[in-house]
Amino acid sequence: MKRFVGMSLTLAALVGVLVLLGAGFYWVAAGLGYACNGLAIWLGWNPPGTWSPFAFHVGITLGNLLTLMMVVLMISGSLLTVAERKWSALLQNRIGANRITVGGNPLGGIPYLLADALKMLTKERAAPDVRTRLLFELAPVLAFAPVFCLFAIVPVGPPIDLGAFFAGAAGAGRTVALQVASIDAGLLYLFAIASLSVYGTSLAGWASNNKLALLGGVRASSQMISYEVSMGLSLVGTMMAYRTLRLEEMVVAQGAPVLGGFPALGLLLQPIGFLVFFTSGFAETKRAPFDLPEGESEIVGYFIEYSGMKFGMMFLAEFLEIAVFAGVITAVFLGGWHPLVVDTGWLRAHVTPLWFGAIGAGAFLVKMIVLMWLQLVIRWLLPRFRYDQVQKLCWKILLPASLVNIFVTGAAILIDPSLQLLAWIGLATIIVIGLLVATTGRAAPAHDAGPAHGGHGAAAAAGH
Amino acid sequence: MAYQLDNRPLDLRERFYFPEVIRGIGTLAGHFLKNLFFSRDANPDILARPRGFARSDNVTLQYPEEKAPYPPGYRGLHRLVPRQDGSPRCVACYMCATACPAQCIYIEAGEVAGDPIEKYPVKFVIDELRCVVCGFCVEACPKDAIRMDTGEHAPPSLERSGQLQDIKALLRGPAVSYLSDPWLRRPSPSIPADQLAAMKATARPYHADADDEYASTPGFSVRALAAEARERAARAGAK
Repeated sequence: MKRFVGMSLTLAALVGVLVLLGAGFYWVAAGLGYACNGLAIWLGWNPPGTWSPFAFHVGITLGNLLTLMMVVLMISGSLLTVAERKWSALLQNRIGANRITVGGNPLGGIPYLLADALKMLTKERAAPDVRTRLLFELAPVLAFAPVFCLFAIVPVGPPIDLGAFFAGAAGAGRTVALQVASIDAGLLYLFAIASLSVYGTSLAGWASNNKLALLGGVRASSQMISYEVSMGLSLVGTMMAYRTLRLEEMVVAQGAPVLGGFPALGLLLQPIGFLVFFTSGFAETKRAPFDLPEGESEIVGYFIEYSGMKFGMMFLAEFLEIAVFAGVITAVFLGGWHPLVVDTGWLRAHVTPLWFGAIGAGAFLVKMIVLMWLQLVIRWLLPRFRYDQVQKLCWKILLPASLVNIFVTGAAILIDPSLQLLAWIGLATIIVIGLLVATTGRAAPAHDAGPAHGGHGAAAAAGH
Repeated sequence: MAYQLDNRPLDLRERFYFPEVIRGIGTLAGHFLKNLFFSRDANPDILARPRGFARSDNVTLQYPEEKAPYPPGYRGLHRLVPRQDGSPRCVACYMCATACPAQCIYIEAGEVAGDPIEKYPVKFVIDELRCVVCGFCVEACPKDAIRMDTGEHAPPSLERSGQLQDIKALLRGPAVSYLSDPWLRRPSPSIPADQLAAMKATARPYHADADDEYASTPGFSVRALAAEARERAARAGAK
């Protein structure tokens, strides 16, 4: 019971810290934007007393780069390496890493982060002589960098007027949002950059001059290119429903009420799109059950010849992908920064703009954490698919499903542009899936007194 | 624990696969939440840990800090059982050294001064590195003088000599006296007269039916084992 109280308090404190963190991010962005404006004036690029939108924009982007990419992404990515050990332990009724303690407290295994980083950095760097030098050195960067770029378009917090930070600085268009880059292409940029990361893996496989690495690289490229297709098509429905490619506009559109005041979440309007996108995105992260490129028990994979921090970058890139992917799903399907437990309009009317933004950012981060947790659960739930199952799942299930989803969504929007019909279809789909889940599954054998054993169908082929 | 699997083919809903995955997520989430919110019971008897709603399912034993108790028949380090006066019950009969298949027991017998019959061990050394922990010495002993009931492993040592246990190391544990002990039944110069009365007062009757696990092992015969060993040696010699 002590642990129950302590853990509940810890989780509540975590939510509080995330909200405070959101407020801090806003201050960093606004402060840097304001400072850059001042710098431009000091340098004489602008006459004193004027407002330079460009300098302001540069400052905000710089601040968001620092906070969102360096803090949110890097910290969640590296904490996920610990979470992978600790959460999997909790899922499997184990304790997990707890031998490094600070003052007798294992702190949830977080000190292992430092130990792992130290190990990676001080390891011997042994590279094969027969490697293709340039590509070999380039591959970890190519695996790592696109993931970072992906997070640029994820809107973590809503736009806030600058007047909330500096009285007198208010003005038309002077808003601060927790988003590195707001570009028209939006989701198209996402698909473009996401497909770049295949270069990292396939180049690593090829440049290592190792049969197993090459096999891993080939598997990675074929798998990732296959899943690009269904991944792209799965989001067409949301693009049609929200009539935009920009993620921040999608988030705003998800706050609109539909079906009697319930917000028009992507999850409600596009449940099939969510399932297909989640599955394809999971395949893009190259983690179990889609870890054929790595396949540590058979071919070790495309990074077999990498050691030290080069391996560490490949390793970290996978975890960053999880975080980025969770962020994108949050923005597209889970209402982004809308704190779903309270009405956004009510919240906007009752707290100051800064705290509204901070609560929104906190809500976004909470949803992101839940989604990262969900991905780790699935990674520990399912065994690795066979190669034919992977391709069958993509081409014979996900691709037709996403195509049907596009046509049904298109028809529903054509008949009823207010999205009510689409929401009803989505609700019906969710109910059908719920019924399927409730009625499938075989009863546990009567004489097995232990807890229910999950994954009855785990050994079954994915694409039967 | 094996259990029967229902091997009928997948039906349509199961072939969808996704519902089963979602069910699996539910199962794992249940485990996760239980283990996250409720603390692990540290009872070393894992099967006796409470299970069910609002209980952690964790079955881990944090080994160096928490140790599972050994079962009652566990054969640990040897000990020489002392008499009430602190001397070993051992009468240096060599039965244990003879029974020992690993020949790890070394005994040097000495005569008790002024007694024509009674002997005592001048040296009694067990090499724990050679010992195969079979317990034959305990079964062979006619005087209940050597036991393996300490419940301890051989402690680690940096030298081989650290594993040689002499009387000083072996003689420990509670003292035992039986009414049938010869040194109590007749005056023995090894025991002062005043102590003899006290020892007799605390002595217990010897069990007619031995309840010691080692003494009641069925089918065990030192002679048969020795004969087998001789045959093996003869076969090895013939080759």
